Amino acid sequence: MNVRAFKRFALPIACFLLLACALFAPVPGTAEAAGEKTITMGTSPDYPPYENVDAAGSGDIVGLDVDIAKYIAGKLGYELKFAPSDFDGLIAALQTKRVDFVMSAMSVTEERKQSVDFSDIYYNATNTIVSLKDKSLGTLDELKGKRVGVQLGSTQEKVTDELKDATILRLNKIPDLIQALKANRIDAVIVEDAVAAGYAGANEDLKFSMIPPSGEGEGYAIAFPKGSELREEFNGVLAQMKEDGTLQKMVDQWFGTEASSGDSGGVFHFERLGKYMGYIFRGVYVTLLFTLVSAAFGFVWGSVLSLFKISKIAPLRWFSTVYTSIFRGTPLLLQLALIYYAIPQLFHYNIPALLAAGLAFGLNSAAYLSETIRGGILAVDKGQREAALALGIPYRTMMVSIIMPQAIKNILPALVNECVALVKESSLVSVIGVADLMRRASVVQANTFMAFEPLIVVGAIYYALVLVLTSLARLLERRMRRSD
Amino acid sequence: MINVEHLTKSFGKNEVLRDISTTVDRGEVVAVIGPSGSGKSTFLRCLNLLETPTSGRIVVDGVDLTDRRTNITQFRQRIGMVFQHFHLFPHMTVMENLIFAPTRVKGMSRDEAHAKGLQLLERVGLKHKADDYPSKLSGGQKQRVAIARSLAMDPDVMLFDEPTSALDPEMVKEVLAVIRDLGSSGMTMLIVTHEMKFAREAADTIYFLDGGKLLERSSPADFFAQPQTERAARFLEQVL
Repeated sequence: MNVRAFKRFALPIACFLLLACALFAPVPGTAEAAGEKTITMGTSPDYPPYENVDAAGSGDIVGLDVDIAKYIAGKLGYELKFAPSDFDGLIAALQTKRVDFVMSAMSVTEERKQSVDFSDIYYNATNTIVSLKDKSLGTLDELKGKRVGVQLGSTQEKVTDELKDATILRLNKIPDLIQALKANRIDAVIVEDAVAAGYAGANEDLKFSMIPPSGEGEGYAIAFPKGSELREEFNGVLAQMKEDGTLQKMVDQWFGTEASSGDSGGVFHFERLGKYMGYIFRGVYVTLLFTLVSAAFGFVWGSVLSLFKISKIAPLRWFSTVYTSIFRGTPLLLQLALIYYAIPQLFHYNIPALLAAGLAFGLNSAAYLSETIRGGILAVDKGQREAALALGIPYRTMMVSIIMPQAIKNILPALVNECVALVKESSLVSVIGVADLMRRASVVQANTFMAFEPLIVVGAIYYALVLVLTSLARLLERRMRRSD
Repeated sequence: MINVEHLTKSFGKNEVLRDISTTVDRGEVVAVIGPSGSGKSTFLRCLNLLETPTSGRIVVDGVDLTDRRTNITQFRQRIGMVFQHFHLFPHMTVMENLIFAPTRVKGMSRDEAHAKGLQLLERVGLKHKADDYPSKLSGGQKQRVAIARSLAMDPDVMLFDEPTSALDPEMVKEVLAVIRDLGSSGMTMLIVTHEMKFAREAADTIYFLDGGKLLERSSPADFFAQPQTERAARFLEQVL
């Protein structure tokens, strides 16, 4: 490798390193803000009345758990922050210390105790059976031989384990279970009382009945990382809250004013989504921002990789080949989870969810784009390169101003495909709690106790976004073709 | 001005140029002729290192191009090249094609480059096409723009690689006229061509290549009247 060849790549490499540094550099103020100590609460805000996003109003996370946490944090002199994520991801968030504690109607189980420490129990819920009114399944005995749904990873799974002959369907989200119930794919769902009351209130065709507690109740507690010193402090305040009635007052407040708009007949009730539309539409901004960031990053990095692939320098070729092979050969969801959870552990940088998602999608998209761009570059007439060389135009100027514009024109349809795919794949980021369109649909599902309507609305929005995107691409293509 | 010393070029085991040595003086117009596959184009492409010589030296104005320390990218600015298939930049207008290298590589101001561009377009008779895209031009017009694009860099030497071979017959004339005009203005030029009439009229020297060897090097009058080698005689018999 001679010096000239090295110079050709020095700049792209430097750019990439800079970008990498910029992405990983600690953002001032996230780690330890000056003055008041902050603590972060992990929660899955799709479980009213314990925690849900006040989507019709402020957009904040509200609920019984939130009020209790605020009270305790206030007493102990902490500033409270929230880190929303899926329920599945909460234990991982604790273990990787992304959050200081978790409050998410999480009940104490032996399994969870292996991984985290629990506070004293602050609320006991009762399990209930929800079914269609005309089937009216009321007791565990009546569930024999039936199809029963339960939330994956919830303590209600224990109840279903003891059912005999029943077919169990485990799903991630309660709205999905309710939808399955209404679609007659299952006969009953086992959830806790407060949730059951909410859904029965919003869906006229549903009824619920309590399951008598068998020995130990469903005790909810606050979870901490193993060995956390916060546990004792929290227990102290909890004990005081129980003693002076503060806790009971909060419970009464949240469980007494159960929102139930009542079912007015008919299949769909889009009218009930009205006050949530603002909240859903703000997700368009998040989804678009995210798509833009990851598409831009993916394109720049993919271009660099494609230049590596056609480089004369063997190690650069090897690197980009291995890179592409790994990022195309593993699921995007896995890459996303790894980046989100591994970076804080490896670099001691608490990477924001949106940045982690942009990074994962950008890195992944670059792997695909590098092949597309490489093809585009190779398809440009060899004579273009020779003409540029003969004029004494340096490599980089030639690539940027002469070869790439022609390559991009050739691959524009493929680039648009990639962008469209990104818009829709962006819905994956909801698993790490980014409030994109898809996550907002889940939030509204949880808030309205309606399973179907929010999905249809965001589906329509995604479709509209893709239509706009493809029209823009057509305009761009026409502009680029004016030289033909 | 150009000294070629023991130039050889091989593609794998295939020896395309064998021990070529010659000198081109400033202002000299050389027509390089020979049967196809004789290495004419490769010879020309070695002169600005589009092909890297396998051995030998190429010295232009005292600068050894084959020396690794020579900044070849910079030196190529002084050697213009015109290709058989023009290779205009299709995404740029004619004027943008002309001013790209002067502004981006030489740091010339846009206004200056633009003025110079218009001058050159006038010289090749295409001033009215300045804002058209290359796809709108005929082959002959494209080649004249390509010549203007090279001239925009103020080269000391111009290399023409079969400039009229891809053109319809009625367009050959307009391009040759431009090249001829350029030669009479004192430009040092090497032209690979199959146009024997043009070579005879416009060149100061004829190079005859065959099998990678520079077989003959003489004035057009001598070459066309009495070729020195039997191979050249046979070649002329076939093309004239």
